[in-house]
Amino acid sequence: MAFISSGYNPAKPMEGRITDIGPRHFTDFLPPVLAKNKGAWDYHEILEPGVLLHVGLSGDKVYTVRCGGARLMSVTHIREICDIADKYCGGHLRFTTRNNIEFMVGTVEDAKALKADLNARKFAGGSYKFPVGGTGAGVTNIVHTQGWVHCHTPATDASGTVKATMDVVFEEFQNMRLPAPVRISMACCLNMCGAVHCSDIAILGIHRKPPIIDHESVDNICEVPLAVAACPTGAIRPTKIEFQGKQVNTVAVKNERCMFCGNCYTMCPAMPLADKTGDGIAIMVGGKISNRITTPKFSKVVVPFIPNEPPRWPKMTKVIKKILDTYAGDARKYERLGDWANRIGWERFFEKCDLEFSAHLIDDFRDPAYYTWRQTTQFKF
Amino acid sequence: MAIVEFKSNKFEVDEDGFLLKFEDWNPEWVEYVKESEGIAVISESHQKVIDFLQDYYKKNGIAPMVRILSKVTGYKLKEIYELFPSGPGKGACKMAGLPKPTGCV
Repeated sequence: MAFISSGYNPAKPMEGRITDIGPRHFTDFLPPVLAKNKGAWDYHEILEPGVLLHVGLSGDKVYTVRCGGARLMSVTHIREICDIADKYCGGHLRFTTRNNIEFMVGTVEDAKALKADLNARKFAGGSYKFPVGGTGAGVTNIVHTQGWVHCHTPATDASGTVKATMDVVFEEFQNMRLPAPVRISMACCLNMCGAVHCSDIAILGIHRKPPIIDHESVDNICEVPLAVAACPTGAIRPTKIEFQGKQVNTVAVKNERCMFCGNCYTMCPAMPLADKTGDGIAIMVGGKISNRITTPKFSKVVVPFIPNEPPRWPKMTKVIKKILDTYAGDARKYERLGDWANRIGWERFFEKCDLEFSAHLIDDFRDPAYYTWRQTTQFKF
Repeated sequence: MAIVEFKSNKFEVDEDGFLLKFEDWNPEWVEYVKESEGIAVISESHQKVIDFLQDYYKKNGIAPMVRILSKVTGYKLKEIYELFPSGPGKGACKMAGLPKPTGCV
């Protein structure tokens, strides 16, 4: 398309410039019933999977219908969401912190009709556009990252792995039959954008090979001290080498000290490390952020490596399904996955989930690693 | 990578318009960049910031932290933005010929 100016004048970039106005205030978008009862809610119920009822002290009722979203969406899709909101909700809607979509209506009949409408909408390929669910003790949406769609440091894909996983656990999205909610999260490298470090089940992209150093450009496009300081294990040092007859400043990596975190590539574009066969996925479990009964917990690595198998990642989804099913069958009511594993002991967790325990899972990072070892005779054979 | 020509100079740049080699920098680079960075005239203040960035980079191999830039030049962050509308990273470092800022920017 030919260029169409928005009115911005590149010759006078600061003229008429509006800045620091922040986001719109959320009250601009509240449905009337929420605005009226704000701060005066009495109680709530989950009527059925995906449908919530909140009752205000005034007696006002609001029914919320929650449906899944792919997070990565086109404007066409957002327009369809708006059309639904126009039809049922007076043009109001919201997105949740796990990127589900919520429509609020005034009566239970409207909520039922809306749920039926949402569940009937499908893409040409057959996928549900707006599957209703994600409430209570089930599996809700997967918090995930950019992957191969947009980022330059990923070790795996985000949207692809998430679609493959949600397809496998889809029934749990539409039901509430687990002992407690299970949060699955995904990050495509160990920057861990999002929630993988504190989720019941976490999918994490990892590398297994050290960076390749582009000696020709290190000194030109990198600030070498930053690359050195980026390394958590001190594997990188500055050095001078002879390159194509010239003395160049560059870096050297002690491969036996490198654990392939990729931090140096984040700081220095001349140290790429992505690798088709080397890269893959680690599975972590047992994290949570709520304070309910037990304190928040970090998730722990239980599967050190699963290869990347686009487009459906069958080995990965099989492991996740196995962990989820074992937890669902074995844990007590209200027990989060981490609470369950801690109660039965991690040796039992590995046994029940049929996971292999390898040396990769034993913490060896600095002094705190010691506290993760077992300093007691209490264990089960 | 692209090569830009300006007043008999050839500069090798990346897609964001940063110099690929610090050694390629010369005062005409500043003249070339200023327009795309929304700067009409290079004042003494601009020059002071550019000179300091270059000295610091030559000496330490990194760009200074914003607080160091402010403290040494005496310009508050607000004033640096008035000089370089794109900010110290995209604006001043690019004009000074320093490598492109990296990390989660």
